[in-house]
Amino acid sequence: MNKALASGIFIISMFIGVGVFLYPLILPAVSQSTNSLGGDFQQSQALTMVLLTLTIGVLLLEMQGQTTSAKTIAAMGLLIAATSVLRFIEVAIPGPGGFSPIFVPIIIAGYVFGARFGFLMGSLTMLVSALLTGGVGPWLPYQMFAVGWVGLTAGLLPQIENPIAQITMLAVFAFIWGLLYGLLMNLYYWPFLSSAVSESAETVQRFGATLANYGAFYLATSFVWDLTRGIGNLVLMIALGLPAVRALERFRDIFRFEVVYG
Amino acid sequence: MKLTFHTFAWVVWLSSAAILTLIMRNPLYLIILLLVARVVQNACGEDHTALKISLWRLSAVIMVFSILFNLLLVHVGQTVLFRLPQNLWLIGGPLTLEAVIYGAVSALILITLLALFMAFNSIVSTSDLIAVIPRALANVGVVILIAVSYVPETLDHLQRVREAQALRGHRIRGLRDWQPIIIPLLVGGLERSMNLAETMVARGYGATSGEQLAARTRAMMLAGLILIFGGWILSFSHWLPGWLLILSGGGFLALAYYEQGRRIKRTRYKISRWQTQDWLLVLISLLPLLLILLPFPAVSEDSITYSPYPLAKIPQFNPLVGLAIALLAAPALLVELSPLSR
Repeated sequence: MNKALASGIFIISMFIGVGVFLYPLILPAVSQSTNSLGGDFQQSQALTMVLLTLTIGVLLLEMQGQTTSAKTIAAMGLLIAATSVLRFIEVAIPGPGGFSPIFVPIIIAGYVFGARFGFLMGSLTMLVSALLTGGVGPWLPYQMFAVGWVGLTAGLLPQIENPIAQITMLAVFAFIWGLLYGLLMNLYYWPFLSSAVSESAETVQRFGATLANYGAFYLATSFVWDLTRGIGNLVLMIALGLPAVRALERFRDIFRFEVVYG
Repeated sequence: MKLTFHTFAWVVWLSSAAILTLIMRNPLYLIILLLVARVVQNACGEDHTALKISLWRLSAVIMVFSILFNLLLVHVGQTVLFRLPQNLWLIGGPLTLEAVIYGAVSALILITLLALFMAFNSIVSTSDLIAVIPRALANVGVVILIAVSYVPETLDHLQRVREAQALRGHRIRGLRDWQPIIIPLLVGGLERSMNLAETMVARGYGATSGEQLAARTRAMMLAGLILIFGGWILSFSHWLPGWLLILSGGGFLALAYYEQGRRIKRTRYKISRWQTQDWLLVLISLLPLLLILLPFPAVSEDSITYSPYPLAKIPQFNPLVGLAIALLAAPALLVELSPLSR
């Protein structure tokens, strides 16, 4: 019963995540009604932020069940601190394009310690570094969700023994997430810019047209930016990935050791 | 010494102002909100954030970008400024004044949001924000607390590792040369986390916890999620029932948080009390929201929304609404007037 509920929560929040990130593409196709208050998009943007914040609240509550051991909590805290330091450096000295050093440690932590750990580590890293750099903003729930997914999906990757195959898989994974992250995060502020199209009665937007517009927007604004992020992730993972995975794996065995009193 | 408000009161203020920014498209009200954000930040904020972002420089970028994007891609409106050949992919067609105005209003929304959050960041300190983490999220709260307090030490550790490697003749030329710095940093951090964990266990941490979420709590969470998701989808076609569903879903989630929070005992070192001025701030924050969301006869919807299409016009201005929005600057006035400030 409890298990079924837990997977129910998990599945619904997955749907919400997909819906929230993709709705700007679908909305113009389904909703042509003139709204009484504000633009459709602005309205839904406010609601979407509420929805996302609540969903993250649920996910954090659900996922923290795993972290009851003091060892896991302390390790996660320290790993987040280290990753936030990397983000600190990134914000102070921006790298080329959209490059950010935070993805590689989150992917490695998710891969070694599992999906739940990865989700918590990803989303809490965004939260902690936002708190420290004064970067709390309407984008924070989206970042927490997206980066949480990075860690979560990394935990679902298969465990491979062969080091070359392992690092190849992780590097390709990091590259794909580098691109995907930009694609998802763009969808968050795209509605602010594109809403004009749906409000005018003269142009009836179809899904395809919206997609074409988004494609133009994406190519013009962020493809190169995201590409540097993807390539940066790839290079960083190849350069530092294996020893980091080995180091974390050594600790994983220590963390799992626990004396249970009968 | 300054008059201060409770963190929760500021959260209400921020939510109200942000929601107003998102649902209104009237540039006149948006400008009032932007001014409110700046005034409140000046009066109540302190410079404790590590980073200084120039709002105006960022705003200029957003403005130019948004106007250009809209101008080139949206070919709607009656006041044509310029024509591009029709055969250009996507950007071909008439370029209109209306599209420029629309782009500018969109940018204004983003800039206002940014200014509001900047004000919030400068008013509420990191430790205050951590203090309001709900009791149900105790474990997450501990993780955040550890992370925040270990960041300076990790920076220190990074410096020590770099110095130690430099003494051994290590120099950074390529990316691979970061390996002898990053790996010791990682391992050192994890080793300290082992120490920390042992200290925590020695002081009784985790002695009572370790229980899973109760099925009842989980059921409430699931019901809440389904309700808010359903409400969100419904809100695209039916605005009010959607909001109501989301609200009731939020109620379920609050109940789940309350249930879970009751199982966890936590004591506070620094207690911040809810005072009279906090009630005042909450009331003032909710007033403009109520004025706009509830159907008052004096407030016509035309003045709240504004669309330049099909022909550009001057936005309407309702003094009542403008006044209610300007009220959001009241905390600045309260801080300046209070005897504590002198």
